[in-house]
Parts: sequence; structure tokens; C-alpha cells
Amino acid sequence: MSETKTTEAAADEPNIRIVEDATCTFCGCVCDDMELTVDLDANRITKAKNACVLGRAWFLQHGIEDHPQAMIDGREVPLEEAMDEAARILHEAKFPITYGLSDSPCEAQRVAVAINDLVRGNIDTTTSVCHGPSGIAFQGVGESTATLGEVKNRADLVIYWGGNPAESHPRHFTRYTVTPKGRYIPNGKKDRYVVLVDIRKTPSSPVADQTIRVKPGRDFELLWALRALVRGRDISPDIEGITGVSRETLDELVERMKNCNFGVLFFGMGLTMTRGRHFNSGALLALATDLNKYTHFVAKPVRGHGNVTGADNVVSWQTGYPFGVNFHRGYPRFNPGEYTTVDLLARGDADAAMMIATDPASNFPKRAIENLKKIPVISLDAKPTYTSRAARVAFMVATYGINTGGTVYRMDDVPITLRPAFDSPFPTDEEVLTGIHTRLKALRANGRKKAA
Amino acid sequence: MHTELELVTAPEVPIEAECLSPAKIKGLSQSGIEHLEMMHGNRKVRVGDFFRVTGNGQCSLRLEGDLSRVKYIGAGMTEGEVRVNGSAGMHLGAGMSGGMIRVSGDASDWVGPEMSGGRIEVMGNAGHMVGSAYRGQRVGIMGGEILIHGNVKNELGSAMRHGLIAVGGQAGDFVGVNMRAGTIIVMDGMGVRPGAGMVRGTIVSFQPVELLPTFSYSCWLRPTFLRFYLCHLGQSGFEVDDAYMGGRYRRYCGDSVEENRGEILVLDAR
Repeated sequence: MSETKTTEAAADEPNIRIVEDATCTFCGCVCDDMELTVDLDANRITKAKNACVLGRAWFLQHGIEDHPQAMIDGREVPLEEAMDEAARILHEAKFPITYGLSDSPCEAQRVAVAINDLVRGNIDTTTSVCHGPSGIAFQGVGESTATLGEVKNRADLVIYWGGNPAESHPRHFTRYTVTPKGRYIPNGKKDRYVVLVDIRKTPSSPVADQTIRVKPGRDFELLWALRALVRGRDISPDIEGITGVSRETLDELVERMKNCNFGVLFFGMGLTMTRGRHFNSGALLALATDLNKYTHFVAKPVRGHGNVTGADNVVSWQTGYPFGVNFHRGYPRFNPGEYTTVDLLARGDADAAMMIATDPASNFPKRAIENLKKIPVISLDAKPTYTSRAARVAFMVATYGINTGGTVYRMDDVPITLRPAFDSPFPTDEEVLTGIHTRLKALRANGRKKAA
Repeated sequence: MHTELELVTAPEVPIEAECLSPAKIKGLSQSGIEHLEMMHGNRKVRVGDFFRVTGNGQCSLRLEGDLSRVKYIGAGMTEGEVRVNGSAGMHLGAGMSGGMIRVSGDASDWVGPEMSGGRIEVMGNAGHMVGSAYRGQRVGIMGGEILIHGNVKNELGSAMRHGLIAVGGQAGDFVGVNMRAGTIIVMDGMGVRPGAGMVRGTIVSFQPVELLPTFSYSCWLRPTFLRFYLCHLGQSGFEVDDAYMGGRYRRYCGDSVEENRGEILVLDAR
């Protein structure tokens, strides 16, 4: 791990530390060029140079809350006691589920997988409610991929489909894809052609050279028509009536895609979470694959949470599958729809849940929340949430990227090291999960001794 | 004679019971059947912990009770008969190659995935992925027939290669997606994007359908083969209108993104 670059202030000044090359874990861009000014007396970040509007809010509004480290049924308890109780719940459960993980560092995610392997549980990440369909599509179709560095240095055609990075990932345009000058893109934006496909005008629209407005829910039809045209096949003459996009526009776009030097398709949840889901993602990935007959073309999902890509990578590395993995039989099984958390909770299948850095009680469907309330929940989060307030065991953990180090993955699967700004009185996710894992191993060993 | 298993203890979490299949109980005594292993969540349990068993290892199995949380009934079966008097859970008849399953109530998702022979009949509704491939597999069902009298949800017959799937009610989106061959008949209408990515095969609808821009009108016809299928479905208890039998069908070819050798037949209302 690289050493944290810090500068302590002179003695007569306030107790200030400057952290260079810090990493922002607010969104999937994981920008690692932050310069943080930290007031160590107040335990606050006072300035976040290079951060976007979202990053500034992430850093500047973070403070250490006066809150117990651990609670059982809303009652403050020692950390050890809470870990004992969490281990007991998971040990006794017949269908324990773990969900979240996308705002935890990879080191904690790894322990979460180990726990589920040990208790024969079910592990799922927030990928299942954002780019899970893309995960299914990767398996079914494959992915032509590249890093954001390659995009910055080479891409002369950038297409965004179903996303609004200007608001969701403000530095995506300026750091990687549109304005930066690259090795083979010496003039930055002047050397690029940017297309935005969406159902409406968004704050991202002014960046684009061309905006294509597709009828809501018609992305699959439009992508399918583009695939047919790239392959030289005919399509319905009523394509404009079906998709809202004229044949001329499609022909022009197809020619542009076939004749670029390096094309990239970025896609967001406007594609993955609308009617058709994994088929929408699959159609876009297949389009990128088809275009490789003519030129170099890649496709990348624009990921939301800071380390959701890390969750995919760690769970894939450990189990072979990216999300929705079940260990009931002692080996991993993957079946979205059956082992994904929303579906499990909506059906009432689970009998215990561990929620790590996520708040399903505030954003899951009503039936899933009702079933969640019926089972013992273990919560690990850096802030109090609806889930943690209703949890049987609630751990308050340190915030990754600000108070703790570790590794996170950028949305293009590049691992980046975190440089924490100041210490926290709360334990890390990894420490809590390792404590639970150790206790579970002891419980299982005792069980074996009794059985013998 | 048949072996009867009545679900007397409701499971707290889903049960996975591949053992509820004629080949697995064949020749076993009543006690032998009670000692067969199932998974109750992450724990191994015995059939006798949840079911009251009557009779011994006959090739005909009758299951009583609400089995909507019992998965893999009849999975991998090769012969014999399973009758579920109630509802069945996920993965009903997964990978079966012979025999017959009949469910008097509803079935859940993944009915008969990757089956290669035999017959599944569901009198009620079924869920998503009926007669489909599992995620990551290129080919779905390789043969046999699945008859659903009620409605089904999305991805009916995904990547199917051979066989017959018939639905008496409505189907969801992506009927016959990535289909390789075989026949799908849906009587009361289907959702959007039928036949997306189909290579060959036939999808029949008696209601108007909204087609992808990669399907094109070919001709109209009165297919003889369809009458044979409809006679067969009529004998199986489906309501087959005379108009379906002798009617004129509009034939659309697709998917042009693939080989354009699949067909969607839509009953011409005129």
C-alpha cells in the first residue's frame, strides 16, 4: 500500500493536515486526485480541492457522530457482545442473507464472502438493483471493455445511453471522456464526437454534439435496429413510429460508429432498470461486439456507488459469480431472481439478514420491507439509517475513504488505494466482520465437538 | 397404486427436494422414503420431517398440500408420474427427460428448465422463465412439452431448441427470446419483443402482437401442422376456438439480427 502523503501545519497555526492524492468514494468515478485540508481538532475536512459538487458534500459534511459503536435492540452494548450476538444469529439461521457491500472496501467485502461461505448463506450486493441486469448480460453476451484511461487517450466517439453523468458523475466528462486531452486525442473535445441517447433533455445534453431522444421504454427496439443496420440487415420502415428516431438519424449514427477509430458506449440505469433490463444491456453489449468487425468499440456501465465495482470483482473472484450467490449446498450457485435480495425478501424466504452499508428499509418494495421487519437484522453502517434503527444488532462503522483505508475499484475495474483523512472512534467494517467470522468459526468448532 | 406424500409441516424457509421424483423413490419402503434427504435452507433434513408418507416406492407419486416453497419437484425425472394436488415451487421438473408432472394449482418460476423429454402440465399460472435455459446457458429445453393452462410471466421458452410449449392464458415479454427451434403457442396474447434474437422456430399467437423492427411480413397461410397441435391441445383440456383451427395466419420472419429463419404466426382477425 502506498504511503499517505500528509503535511502537518506549523505549531502556531490550527492543527491542520493536508492529505494529497486522497480518493473520493462517493461515486463510481473514484477520483484519486483530491487534496483535502483537515482540521484535526474539529475532526472535519474544511476544504476538498478538485472535488466536484457531490464530492465536496461527501467530504465537507462528514463529521464524527456521537453514537454508540454497537447496539442490540436499540440498547448500547460493548462491541464484543454485539459481535457475539451477530454470530449467534447467523449461526442459527437456516437462510441467512447478506446484502449491500457497495460502500465498503474490498478487504471487508472479502470477509463478508468468507462468512457466507462458512454459514452457507446467500450473498448479494446492490449491483442486483442497479447494474445487475448488466451482470447477467456480461455472462450471456460478453463484454468488449477498456479502462477510462484508454477512453481518455483514444476515444473519438463517445456515446452515453440512458444516463445523466452531469448530475450523477460530474467529473466523468471532464476527467475521462469528453474534455481531457489524450495521447491520440490532442485537442480534447474538439477531437471527439459525443452522442447522448435519452428519453428527455437532461443537464448532460449541452455537452453532446448530438442528442437522440428515444421514446420511453423503446431502448431495446432502437438498439436492436442499430444492430440489424450494422449487420447490413433490413428493418421495419416504421422505425420512427416505433422508437421516435428517424431512419436517417440511425443510418448516420451507424456510419459514424463504423468509421470511428475508437468508440465507446457508456450506459446507465435508464437502460438497465427499464422494461427489458438485461436484454437492454445485452443488446448494447452485442452492438459493441458487432461493431468490432469494423473498428475498435467498447462498452462500459457507468456505476453508481463508490465500490460497487469492487463488490462485483471480489464476489466474482471468490465465488465465480458477481452477485446473487447462494452457498446452501456448500458451493456457490448463481441465479438472479431466486437469490437476489429483493426477490428473497419479497417472497419471505430469508430468516436472518446482514445489511452492510446499505439501507433497504428505506428503498426496497413494501412487501420486502415488511418481511425484513419480521427477521433478525444485523446492520453495519457509517450513519444511522432506517435499517440500523430497526436492526436487532446495529454496528456504527468508520467511513471508508475518509476514516479508513483499503482498496476500492473504479467503475472500469481499476483498483485504487484509499488515503484516509482522520481517525474515527468507530471500528472498520473489516474489523467487525472479522470479529463475527472468528466467532462463527468457534461456534462451528464447538458444534462439531458436541456432535462428536 | 401410488405413493402419497402430504406436506404436514410448513417449511420456515424454502425446501429443495430433488428426491421427490419417481426414480428416487422407486423400490423404497415407506421408511426408506421418509429417510430421503432434502435441503431446508442450509440444513439437511429428511422427507419424514415434513411429509406424511403413505405407500411405498411406486412409480406414481402424489403430493398433497401447499408446495409453493418446495423447489425441484420432479427434477431430473426419467419416468413415472408426479401429481401435485396444490401449488409447486421453483424449478419444477428441471432437466427432466421423461415421465409426466401435473400440477393442479400454480407453479413458480423456472418450470421445466433445460428439460429434454416428458410432459409438464400446470392447471393454474406459472412464473418467469418457463421452459427456459438457466442463466449463462446457450440452449434451453431440448424436447418434451410444457402445457400451462393459465398465464405465465417473462422469457417463456428462452433459448429453446426443441419441443412444444403452450400457454392457455397470457404470456409476458420476450416470448421465445434467443429461440433456436421448437414451437411456442400462446392463446391469449403476449407482451412485447417476442422472438428477440430467435434463430429458427415457430411462435404462434391468436391475438395481435407488437413485433420488433427486425421482423418482416412474409405471407399469409393456413398451416396444417397447427391443426395437429391444436387437436392435441384440445384433448389436453385447452379451449380451442374453431377460428384458431381453420383460420388464416399472417407469417412474419425474423429475427433479421440473426438468421431471419424464425417465424411468428399471428391469427388474422379478418
